Amino acid sequence: MSWPDWIVLSLTLLGMIAYGLYKGRTSRDLDGYFLSNRMVPWYMVLLGIMGTQASAVTFLSAPGQAYTDGMRFIQYYFGLPLAMIVLCVSFVPVFRRLKIYTAYEYLEQRFDLRTRALTSGLFLLQRGLSTGISIAAPSIILSSLLGWNIFWANIIMGGLLIIYTVMGGAKAVAYTQQLQMMIIFGGMTVAGFMVIHRLPAGVGLSEVLHIGGKAGKLNIITTGIRPNGRSFDWNDRYNLFSGIIGGFFLALSYFGTDQSQVGRYLTARSLSESRLGLLLNGLVKVPMQFLILLLGVLVFAFYQFNREPVFFNQSQLNLLAHSKYKDSLVWLTFQYESAETSRLAAAPSIAANASTPASRSRSAERLLAAEQQKAGYKATVRRWLDDKDVGGDSNDTNYIFLRFVTDYLPIGLVGLLIAVIILAAWGSIAATLNSLSSCTIVDFHRRFSRRPMSTEKEFRLSRLYTLLWGIFCIAMAQLAYNIGNSLIEAVNVLGSMFYGVILGIFLVAFYRKKTGGQAVFISAVIVEAAVIFFTVLSRQGVVHLSFLWFNVIGAAGVVLLSEGLQFILPSHRQIH
Amino acid sequence: MDQEPEGKVPLFTKWNYWYILVAAFLLLNILLFYFLTKHFS
Repeated sequence: MSWPDWIVLSLTLLGMIAYGLYKGRTSRDLDGYFLSNRMVPWYMVLLGIMGTQASAVTFLSAPGQAYTDGMRFIQYYFGLPLAMIVLCVSFVPVFRRLKIYTAYEYLEQRFDLRTRALTSGLFLLQRGLSTGISIAAPSIILSSLLGWNIFWANIIMGGLLIIYTVMGGAKAVAYTQQLQMMIIFGGMTVAGFMVIHRLPAGVGLSEVLHIGGKAGKLNIITTGIRPNGRSFDWNDRYNLFSGIIGGFFLALSYFGTDQSQVGRYLTARSLSESRLGLLLNGLVKVPMQFLILLLGVLVFAFYQFNREPVFFNQSQLNLLAHSKYKDSLVWLTFQYESAETSRLAAAPSIAANASTPASRSRSAERLLAAEQQKAGYKATVRRWLDDKDVGGDSNDTNYIFLRFVTDYLPIGLVGLLIAVIILAAWGSIAATLNSLSSCTIVDFHRRFSRRPMSTEKEFRLSRLYTLLWGIFCIAMAQLAYNIGNSLIEAVNVLGSMFYGVILGIFLVAFYRKKTGGQAVFISAVIVEAAVIFFTVLSRQGVVHLSFLWFNVIGAAGVVLLSEGLQFILPSHRQIH
Repeated sequence: MDQEPEGKVPLFTKWNYWYILVAAFLLLNILLFYFLTKHFS
């Protein structure tokens, strides 16, 4: 990275810390530290919700996902708007009315203390572990592409934000997320325009869509029904049905029961502003993801006219260069580069002839014939990396966008785009640290403390817990680095192991008024054990089920089992 | 238990209209994406 990029990056990050410290001055009590005294306007709630959900990986991975697998990933978000509606009808009015700090406080009022402690504990376990991985995943990508030391990458990704999060609490989180989202939107928009600007003359958005469509990248809507038309592929991750049903349960669970999100909309000035923030999130999320994925298709089209590396993650090619495949790699690289040179020589004429619909279609087909040839070389590299003797990472998806940024974007913009990735991580992690701290003090320390605490002591403890969780997550990130590949997938799988059960507990609380604490507690423990068991079977290939469905199974399992247990245990029937 | 006032509904007279808007916009997106998929495949 050049020194102007370093200056842009450093100024952006330091400016964000200063802004967080300046805006984060708040009253020295739990209401100020965790809820910003409930004075946040709707547009900051909206940006906070979006900033908490969108992590660094969202901006690294999504364009790469569209590049390799097409835009069907967008279906993952189809359940989200529907979940926003259910939240506004059922969850938010109750949370607001009870004036609670954490979502789990409600469960003690509805059921009992142990159900509250179990649910809050599951959240702390899941979030504490997954946040460490969320820091490590983008750090590994940045350190691989830019040659950064992994320890310092983890500190930049997950450590610096601790300064303003500890000092300013939810208010600092809300104000920095607002600014972060503006920089992120601005940076990604500029990146999109730069890709189009760098396409050959005569190739515009229409031609890009034709090229992407011919290559199968515009597979936005898929049904998951197998080609024989007779059965549904339950292992297919992203299709209309898994997106609407699985995505609905995942979004309902994430936004309704995950304190990192609940803590954002509880800070709103009023019930109306909480609702407005959530509903606008339901309106803008799908189009926003569409544009991020479209960026991946743009980058794909760009590489039809420019030299594409045989593998985007250069560190993995270096690994192969020191393995038993080193001679084969030299030969393959020579072959690949020759094919690329021939392909690129023909590319300008293809672009020039793409003026009519028929010629556009023929041009796209010629480009794709060359694309299939490239795919063969790439598959060989992936096969070598998958060799146990090499122990490489054959998943190149997360490196595509950032490699394009570092190779082709002008000086200064590279620093800004790397800042965008880091700020996306900060927004998400800061909200999580704030929520981990609020659950620790409100659901455990204060709840189980025998002596009442002063407001000042609660405030100082809240800061301490935020700091300790920050250190814990950094330590987890350092450990996660040793786990190796598939960290992003690990975050999703880990979330799906717990989210369904937590959602099931809340669904019973809201919609099954006759079901009591004992039935729901026993059900949650049994179903959680079952979900973990099935996750292990799924990972070992015994069960073929995509992780999104575990959200449905966990939630439905708790609802149905608690209903049955309530029938068996009539003496414990409770009516609230 | 204190009830938080519902507050004024922005733009519409009822929250139900907001819910219909969000659901309808999702449906519109899905239809648009379906036609994009068909047109460019």
